[in-house]
Amino acid sequence: MSNRKLPRLLQTPAVLLLLIWMLVPLGLTLYFSFIRYVLNSLRKPEWTTPSISNWRGFGNYEYVLNSKDFILAIQNSLFIVCSILFLTVILGILIAVLINKAFAGRGIVRVLLISPFFVMPAVNAVLWINMILDPVLGLQGLGVQGLNGLIASLQSAPGVGWFFSLWPQFEPISFRASQTSAYAVIIMVTWQWTPFAVLIFMTSLQSEDEQCKEAAILDGAGAWSQFRFLTLPHLGRPIAIVVMIQAIFHLSLYAEIEIVSRGNGNKNLPYLIGEFANNNIGAASATGIFAVILANIVAIFLLRMVGKTLME
Amino acid sequence: MAIVASSSRFGRQARTVAAWAVGLLFFFPIFWLVLTSFKTDADAVKPEFLIFFTPTLENYLNMTENYDYWRFATNSVITSVLATIFALFVGIPAAYAMAFNPTHRTKDVLMWMLSTKMLPAAAVLYPMTFITKSMGLFDTHFMVVLVLCLINLPIVIWMLFTYFKEIPKEIIEAGQMDGVNTWGEIKEILIPLAWGGIASTALLCFIFCWNEAYWTVRLTTTEAATLSKLIEGNRAPEGLFFGRLSAVSAAAVGPIVVLGWFCQKQLVQGLTFGAVK
Repeated sequence: MSNRKLPRLLQTPAVLLLLIWMLVPLGLTLYFSFIRYVLNSLRKPEWTTPSISNWRGFGNYEYVLNSKDFILAIQNSLFIVCSILFLTVILGILIAVLINKAFAGRGIVRVLLISPFFVMPAVNAVLWINMILDPVLGLQGLGVQGLNGLIASLQSAPGVGWFFSLWPQFEPISFRASQTSAYAVIIMVTWQWTPFAVLIFMTSLQSEDEQCKEAAILDGAGAWSQFRFLTLPHLGRPIAIVVMIQAIFHLSLYAEIEIVSRGNGNKNLPYLIGEFANNNIGAASATGIFAVILANIVAIFLLRMVGKTLME
Repeated sequence: MAIVASSSRFGRQARTVAAWAVGLLFFFPIFWLVLTSFKTDADAVKPEFLIFFTPTLENYLNMTENYDYWRFATNSVITSVLATIFALFVGIPAAYAMAFNPTHRTKDVLMWMLSTKMLPAAAVLYPMTFITKSMGLFDTHFMVVLVLCLINLPIVIWMLFTYFKEIPKEIIEAGQMDGVNTWGEIKEILIPLAWGGIASTALLCFIFCWNEAYWTVRLTTTEAATLSKLIEGNRAPEGLFFGRLSAVSAAAVGPIVVLGWFCQKQLVQGLTFGAVK
């Protein structure tokens, strides 16, 4: 058995690295969350160095919980995450079922579909907010402009002009306002992550029991009841996985928020932490601990599911 | 039966059309980015040149002048490649140990490794900045490589573990009979056998490193700044520079999107930790 010792030791570097990587920063966050620690303070210069003598107990947590921004950030985080989850799962299932059967050019369609997932988040945000969603110069602006032009020319057309003169002028939506920029983030992230959902659902659909399906068809089951009673239950587990993985990723969504809505009130939790971290480290750390708790609620369920398949 | 057959033929055609429409729709923004990159900045915002325009390469030729593209791109390549190599270097022995010499704790170790991946980065934002700055590592390639390696290490180990597990234990044990030591086992037997799996793990790790957009933005200013930082810094051109911004963006994502096409299957495994088969 002694010759098994060295091989087992080989995991030590990885374990140690990850242990340091997890414990040190998180420990510091926990520590900072219990002390008064700001980067600049003329009135209280002693608060600008982290020290145990500046102990504040749960004061930072109280401060964060009472700040209006925190509640808004939580609401906004949840709104963005839930909307993205809802859209990607629905779209993912529909598209996966659509392309699960063979058709001409299936390989190419798969490649086209998966591409958005590999676009880096910064480019995704810059592309959507400028080139596509901009109310004047983006495709949206140009589209609305074109539509208005078309209606204007139809209004002077003989015969049907009276009908079109009842139509309103369309207004392009500005996606840089505080509420609408959340929609912009939802649109761009959904675009990026629907391919992920499709890919997972497709992988899972391929292992669906064909015999079961054939039996169902022989029993006269229609397309809908096949989907409802065979495919959907089969997808239960992948759906749970997609939901949890995306929840973890999107709770820490940052680049998109930063690029689309810097400073316009559309904050999520990571963005708020970044804002606090400009000066009030105590508050930033307390917010960070809340973010960890939120992510852990999801992560525990995910790890349980993953753990089951682990040693098969 | 004839009715069923004809309706299914119609169904198949409808499916083909719908699937292609969905595929093209999802690809359209990327297509639009590339298309815009061939327009001059002035043409890019004019509706009359929406689709028909005189294509120009000027945006690509001026990328260095406009954005210092190659410096950021070099940083991206260097940091992503080194982080991937380093992750494999640490990950292969670890995955080897867990796949061929498991203990009763191996499962817990793996789960714990995954759980580090689930910590929100923002929670440790200030401590990380604090540590890097006090160690003089802020805005250095070393720090970016280290962080990229560590955030991807759990996925790398996890993927390697699932690949290694497929290899029959007897083959590895046969090596031991022949008197090969542990290092020889990994180098002579394991790596050649699992080459495909290691390659796709590396590819996926590289893609994730390249696209990382939190630490690369937060822990750099200029010296070690990657393409994520470059694009983030030029986020709001107010319509002035759509052409050139598109070109630099397309150059930033193009290589990775193409690489991504080759590792769709591994993506499922890597991102779901083997939970979906």
